Amino acid sequence: MLSNALRNARKSRTLTASPIVLDGPWRASCVPVASPMVQTRAVNSNQAWRPVRVLDEWVSKEARPISLRQLMVFGRSLTEKRLIDSANYVRTELPTRIAHRLRDMQLLPYVVVRNAHINDVYNLYYNAFDTFRKIKEIKTLDDNDRLCEVISANLKKHLTVIPKLAMGIHECEGLVDAKEMDQFMNTILKSRISRRVIAEQHLSLTETYNSPYFSPGAKLSESDFIGEVFIKCNAKNVIENCADTIKKIARSINPPDVKIPEIRIEGHLETSFPYILSHLEYIIGELLRNSVQAVIDRHQTHGSPDEPPPPIEVTIAEAPKHATIRISDRGGGIPRHELPYLWAFSKGPLSQQRLRNLNRVPRMAATMQELSVEDEAELGRADLKTPPYQSSLASLTSRPPDLRLGMGLPLSRVYAEYWAGSLELHSLAGYGVDAFLQISRLGNKNEQVITRASMDAL
Amino acid sequence: MNRLASFGRLRHVPRTLRSTRTVSCRALSTSSTAASGYNVTDSDIATLAKRHQHQLSLADLVKHGRPPLSEDSLLSSANFTLGLLPIRLARRIQALRNLPYIVVTNPNISRIYSTYVHSLSILLPYWHAAAEGHPIATLDEEIKFTNTLAELVATHTDTIPILARGFLECRRYISPPEVTRFLDEHLRARIGTRLIAEQHIALHFSSQPHFDPEASPTPCPEHPSFVGVIDTALRPATVVESCAGFVADICELRYGTRPLLHVNGEPDTTFASIPMHLEYILTELLKNAFRATIENKSQEPVVVTIAPEPPLPVTDIPSIKSPGSDRGQFRSDAIRPLDDNAPGVTIRIRDRGGGISPDLVHNIWSYSFTTFSEDDEFPGSDNGGGGGNDGLNAISGASAGISSIAGLGYGLPLSRAYAEYFGGGIDVQSLYRWGTDVYLRLKGIGKIDP
Repeated sequence: MLSNALRNARKSRTLTASPIVLDGPWRASCVPVASPMVQTRAVNSNQAWRPVRVLDEWVSKEARPISLRQLMVFGRSLTEKRLIDSANYVRTELPTRIAHRLRDMQLLPYVVVRNAHINDVYNLYYNAFDTFRKIKEIKTLDDNDRLCEVISANLKKHLTVIPKLAMGIHECEGLVDAKEMDQFMNTILKSRISRRVIAEQHLSLTETYNSPYFSPGAKLSESDFIGEVFIKCNAKNVIENCADTIKKIARSINPPDVKIPEIRIEGHLETSFPYILSHLEYIIGELLRNSVQAVIDRHQTHGSPDEPPPPIEVTIAEAPKHATIRISDRGGGIPRHELPYLWAFSKGPLSQQRLRNLNRVPRMAATMQELSVEDEAELGRADLKTPPYQSSLASLTSRPPDLRLGMGLPLSRVYAEYWAGSLELHSLAGYGVDAFLQISRLGNKNEQVITRASMDAL
Repeated sequence: MNRLASFGRLRHVPRTLRSTRTVSCRALSTSSTAASGYNVTDSDIATLAKRHQHQLSLADLVKHGRPPLSEDSLLSSANFTLGLLPIRLARRIQALRNLPYIVVTNPNISRIYSTYVHSLSILLPYWHAAAEGHPIATLDEEIKFTNTLAELVATHTDTIPILARGFLECRRYISPPEVTRFLDEHLRARIGTRLIAEQHIALHFSSQPHFDPEASPTPCPEHPSFVGVIDTALRPATVVESCAGFVADICELRYGTRPLLHVNGEPDTTFASIPMHLEYILTELLKNAFRATIENKSQEPVVVTIAPEPPLPVTDIPSIKSPGSDRGQFRSDAIRPLDDNAPGVTIRIRDRGGGISPDLVHNIWSYSFTTFSEDDEFPGSDNGGGGGNDGLNAISGASAGISSIAGLGYGLPLSRAYAEYFGGGIDVQSLYRWGTDVYLRLKGIGKIDP
């Protein structure tokens, strides 16, 4: 069954196991890295055989969830010991969580992991796992610096994961059970958020510690970030900033006679809470983007050109333990045929369209090949006060509103639910949509990680 | 002006809102069915309960034609009804019998159980006759049958509050989830059963042989847009306004203030639906919105948005010919079976009543007895109980045609049962400390030709 090329490649290594065939047995001691037999790559690349026992070991460890509050408390009283503790937490937590996702991927249908994009992600993850698991215990600040370099490099390499996954999902449409794919996407994206949060928080704390302005125990003002966590995200400010960005983009891509709807904010305008700013901006950005585009489209077909389009109304409600943001538009509601796929990553009949759009996102196509140098500048942490835009989210956030990728809502929901919040949509067919984003204000709820135990229990 | 008394004159208000009517038998033969002594056997119940329970659709209700029905169509409707009801009753009896012994022997539950058995007993003679090759074939038989139906509808009017009281008394012996499960199924089945019976009664009184809508013991509107209890040209905005007026009146009497109502969206939308269901639902939802607004001391109006679903691009949507003013013509060709994709209407009720606390949000769909503790007074009891003096709770009592809830907190789950019965639904979204949005989705029956 194997091609000659493969057989020849294999002969050049010392093997203890028989070569993998599609339906043949494999020895328990070895598991192959999936090698896609597609034309886009050399057949015998990535033929490394990795011992599965190591992965089993890490898979059996539980992930230790954290909360925003813990992230903050850690940062408030930063000492050398705490920094080293944080380094060791990251050092073991990352490979544990990656191991779980690797096992998930190994259990996916063969045809899925064979897809070129999914396969790339699989290899990225395996290499990351290998790298992190081999790092020895951190004992000094120098050790920590080396760890940070490894973390940085990995973060950069993995920027392409979201678009790759999205493209892979769309390409696998119809080949596998849609529900299974959705569940996989949810799990892997949640985990990805968690790892990046942990990693970037540590990088940020290291930078704080190393900065010339730092003295342990100094009081931070409220407009500060503790690492990635913005102590006091003011909902109104975030919404206004997102609204400005979205409106500017909409203005730039629409002909001058097309009117852009106003975005009005009412309610408890002083509401604030600790959050990771880029997450909040992503969610609100996606919701406003959907609303603005819907209103513009509807106004062109149903509205009169002399009148302005109906405004989008944002309401902020502050309760003791949580805040709710409602975004109400009159964009005509969600068409019936889209409703079943609203929260799913697999879009059914709409997949082909979304796939084409994914290829059109600026720089997303670029990220599919080598990562360009300009990304490095974005990850630089020159300014302590304002964390840099997360590149992976940045390329998504700055795309034009009419480029529908089919990921905005499900991905926003992953982010919203990550910190024990929620995202709900209600559509009035023919009229408009109300979106409700609920955020836990105290930041003391643990992140919602998926452990193997809870997954097996499903 | 005593609004309650004048209610009967409003077009879309069911007569039974005034009070629980006794059966008016002016046009019906006065002899009740001869089978009140008929013995219902276990085998009867078991055999009937095994049979397939027909999933009622709006199309079933209109398939016999638009009133006034001819004699043939009337008999067809009678036999159709006869074919469905005993099975439904048997299943309800079966479900009741499977509750724990100590529950079914409770006086209230037992009373309901007996009522169901009695109802089955008066229908069984017709059922057996039909099984032996003698369906309802003459106008006289049809009159007797319809009389029986009227008795059935009347005796079961108070099922819900009696059941509710019974379950409350039994709360030590049966868990809330079990009761919820039972009630969810029972109330939904009850909606269908009553609808089948009431529809035939209405068709009877608006048929050619018996035309006398005034005499009907259940709603039998005369307007040509009606097909029995269905209004093919129902304007939801009108129902909203009349229910809101009613609720606001009570608020004024009870609290001294009257929240404002604002209707937007497309108020002139019309679609085919059952007015008495919509009235019940809207009254409940507006009651919640108005009360919250008052208790939160808000001056903001309750805003109701009416959003018709856009017409579908599908070309073979069934059409219902618009009502003609000539009632004398028989128009059975006008109705075709229901299309599952019929566009409907969404009604959003938005208030500034402060929202629902997150601790209580999951409770809103449960039947209120689940939130009772051991020491609580029974609500709606003769002692006045918790909320029994509240004028707004009394509104539920006034809508006795559907059920007199009398402050037992069944309003939301029952409203949802009505909405879901024909494929719609209700969603509640709270912004705690600000207000609540309620989304009522209703399915239509099909496109109405202009």
